[in-house]
Amino acid sequence: MIKQIAFFANLVTMFILFIAYNQFENFLPTMQYEEKIAWLPAIGVTYHLGVDGPGIAMLMLSGLVGIASVLASIGIRERVRTYFALLLLAQASVNGAIVARDMFVLILFWGASIVPIALLILGWGGPRRVGAAWRLVGYWGLGTAALAVGVLALYAVTGGRTFDMDTLLGTAQSPRIQIGVSIAMIVAGATRLPLFPLHGWLRDALAEAPVGVAVVVSGAASRLGAFLLLRVVIGAEPAAAHLLSPVLAALAALTVGYAALAAIRSVDIRHAGAYLAMVPGGITLLGLAAISPLGIAGSVLSLFTGGLAAALIAGVCATVSERAQTRSLLLLSGLAPRMPNIAWIFLLAAFALLGVPVFASFASEVMTFFGAFKTQPIGAFAVAIGLAITAVALAALLGRVLFGSPNSDAPGVSDAALGETWYLGILAGALLWIGLFPGGPKIPGTDTPLFDPGFVSQIAAGVSDITSNYTLPASAAPAAQ
Amino acid sequence: MRYAVLVPEALVVALAVAVLLAGRFGWMPRTSRAYLPQVTALVVLVAFGIELWAGASVTTYFGGALIQDRFALFAKAAALLTAAIALAATDWAAEDSLHIGIAMPLLSAFGVMVAASAGDMLGLWAGLELAAAAAVVMVSLRRPDLALRLLLVGGVATGLILFGLAFLYATTGNSDLSAIRDVLANRAPTLALALPMLLLAAGLAVRAGIAPFHVAGLPAGAVAMVGGGAAALAVRSPRPRLAYLAVGQLGWVTAGLATHYRSGIAASLFLLGAFAIAATCGPALLGRAEGGEPAIAGLGAVRPVRAAGIGLAMLSLAGAPPLAGFFGELTVAAALAQSGNFVLLGLGLLGLVMSIAAVIGTLRVLSVMSIAAVIGTLRVLYIQSPLEEARRGAAAALPAVTGLSTAGAVAFCVVIAAYGVFGNPILGLADQGAEALGLR
Repeated sequence: MIKQIAFFANLVTMFILFIAYNQFENFLPTMQYEEKIAWLPAIGVTYHLGVDGPGIAMLMLSGLVGIASVLASIGIRERVRTYFALLLLAQASVNGAIVARDMFVLILFWGASIVPIALLILGWGGPRRVGAAWRLVGYWGLGTAALAVGVLALYAVTGGRTFDMDTLLGTAQSPRIQIGVSIAMIVAGATRLPLFPLHGWLRDALAEAPVGVAVVVSGAASRLGAFLLLRVVIGAEPAAAHLLSPVLAALAALTVGYAALAAIRSVDIRHAGAYLAMVPGGITLLGLAAISPLGIAGSVLSLFTGGLAAALIAGVCATVSERAQTRSLLLLSGLAPRMPNIAWIFLLAAFALLGVPVFASFASEVMTFFGAFKTQPIGAFAVAIGLAITAVALAALLGRVLFGSPNSDAPGVSDAALGETWYLGILAGALLWIGLFPGGPKIPGTDTPLFDPGFVSQIAAGVSDITSNYTLPASAAPAAQ
Repeated sequence: MRYAVLVPEALVVALAVAVLLAGRFGWMPRTSRAYLPQVTALVVLVAFGIELWAGASVTTYFGGALIQDRFALFAKAAALLTAAIALAATDWAAEDSLHIGIAMPLLSAFGVMVAASAGDMLGLWAGLELAAAAAVVMVSLRRPDLALRLLLVGGVATGLILFGLAFLYATTGNSDLSAIRDVLANRAPTLALALPMLLLAAGLAVRAGIAPFHVAGLPAGAVAMVGGGAAALAVRSPRPRLAYLAVGQLGWVTAGLATHYRSGIAASLFLLGAFAIAATCGPALLGRAEGGEPAIAGLGAVRPVRAAGIGLAMLSLAGAPPLAGFFGELTVAAALAQSGNFVLLGLGLLGLVMSIAAVIGTLRVLSVMSIAAVIGTLRVLYIQSPLEEARRGAAAALPAVTGLSTAGAVAFCVVIAAYGVFGNPILGLADQGAEALGLR
């Protein structure tokens, strides 16, 4: 019963989201669907929600990942009610953090996801779940602390009257304060996304978590890190963004390179999946570090595609290890003939991660790299090398697990169950759909959208507002002539 | 109508005395066990309602001995609500001397109410002593050895407070609290004033159980917050962990008080309300679960509502969003940031801002440590399987399920979860309370 409730709750959410997405006015640069109610006027807290283009992209991502996570959790047998209650709580906190337009509300939801996810890992995880949960709590707690420090610093310098983002992010600060706040925000984002030096929780958390939780963490919860950087550092602290963009590019290159090398060296397929799920975060960050309109637009799209690709690769690796009854890459070999469905999806996941044309991640990577090669050539080149190593890692993984010589000593293997095929199919299908119809399908012969107004054009709303800080030199030059 | 404000106090103390006398002289029929806790909780709730309804008037009684202001209203309402929920949530089936068990929380609440509305030193001291003495009796019902220790420590605290008050009286020549405040506000700090203050603070700190006894505002708050979180992580049994978490949150209260500004005091009061409810009802919900984690292992499966209450109490004390403690702690943090900014603009004391920033940083990390500790307990509550009946000793006996205890636990969960949602009226009241204390 609780499974049906969880599934239909997610389905209805997705339905409402789809209506919101269709009604979304993509020519407005402002927040839409705003709600604003005074909450604690004594310290200036308002219950202020709203979405712009990147926000609706994140919400659609969270909705899709939510449905996939419930489908991936169909196999849960023990303490089912607690499991799904915690899963829905985790999703709700992620959605809350996406739509928050008040920094207090953001801290609230940002921190609120820690407890349910840690409990899910502790209660339903793999053999090393205890360490995994502690690390998750430690790193995410550090990130929440950094976020709180940054927010309170902004609150103090703006006069301590309100936590509303319109004020905190709308007033220009001195560069010194911008840099201080930005560093705190980068720490907060780096623990979530995760970026290279603060990624310690990722491998164990994604490898030990039950499949549905790994999907939520890698797909939606961790994308919040890049979303925060986009909102605060790139969107509101232009001086700091200019100064720190080489640092961001270096972090992106380190993250992608480290993840690819670590994936090559893994002997556990879920560890390999966890490391590979770090790669899209690095690409998103590279787009942000480009601080050019094209790069930022690419990183907004890659928030969505990267989340789906990360959830797909982490999920498919977990499903393979469950169906093959082992996680060891020394045993997994030549499975393609015996699990054809999973083999296909595994291939799609690898292509989606690498940004092969036809997938939406292709568009986002092209935009990101075109934007970044101009402003961050060294960083972009390093990330490209990292992506090449990722391709090698994926090729080695696929070649061995799917197409190697079959291992007669390995435990028995079965193909994906219906729920597993569906959850992976939804993630891969969304990537394919947006890759094939970035502007939405049109009624033949006209320019009227059929039912999907076009993801790429919808999420562009508000991006011009964010990038306006970085277009001035280019637009000023023609005006001077 | 003027004396309607005193009705809650009268109700509480009359009920306590009646229950005590009836228990002592055997006037209570055997069947009263079944309904006495219900009746008591109901009467306290009625007192709570009257307090909210009639307490809005600002007056003084008995020639200024009792003052009904917003601060008194806030503290009394918090004390009454806490007492009602704690009375309802306690497992009375396992209680041998029911009348003492019921009367003492009432007397303790009465003591808090008297201290909150005291107009002079005598009322303040009497209220604090009454609350503390009743607490000693409550502890002695379960653990006579601990009660003896508490009695000794409490005696030291009483002595310190009394000395402090006497010194203060000698220095200021006044026993009226508002007159003392006026004197203190217009005088430069001298040794003659610092001495009684130090004594008072030390006495109150012993009472409050703040980790080290040297209270110097911010440092003590920081030490308590750090010490509480670390200690909570170190211990494993639920009851000490709850206690250490409470110490950590009390550190936050102290840090808010140390700002000396109205917003900071209001934030501290706001947090104090959340703290009082969680720190009082958490142990009540825990019941007789002595002897470490096994006693509560898997309680989530067999006593779901009670387990939810314990978990929420711990999370709230640790400051996990989105519960009462989180709102209180972040409000204090905001007040610290606000006051830091004020100092920056007004006095240019950059050092203070940095120390406040450091405190805020420590605070969050602290709170994280506490959350880590709580998750350990939640795991025990929900994820471990319960002990078999045969292995359950007397110490780990399951609390009985009654309609009242379920209602109490549910009420507790609702209060803890909704404290932030309805934070505006509560914080507004706390703000007026801080104003009543004479702060800008």
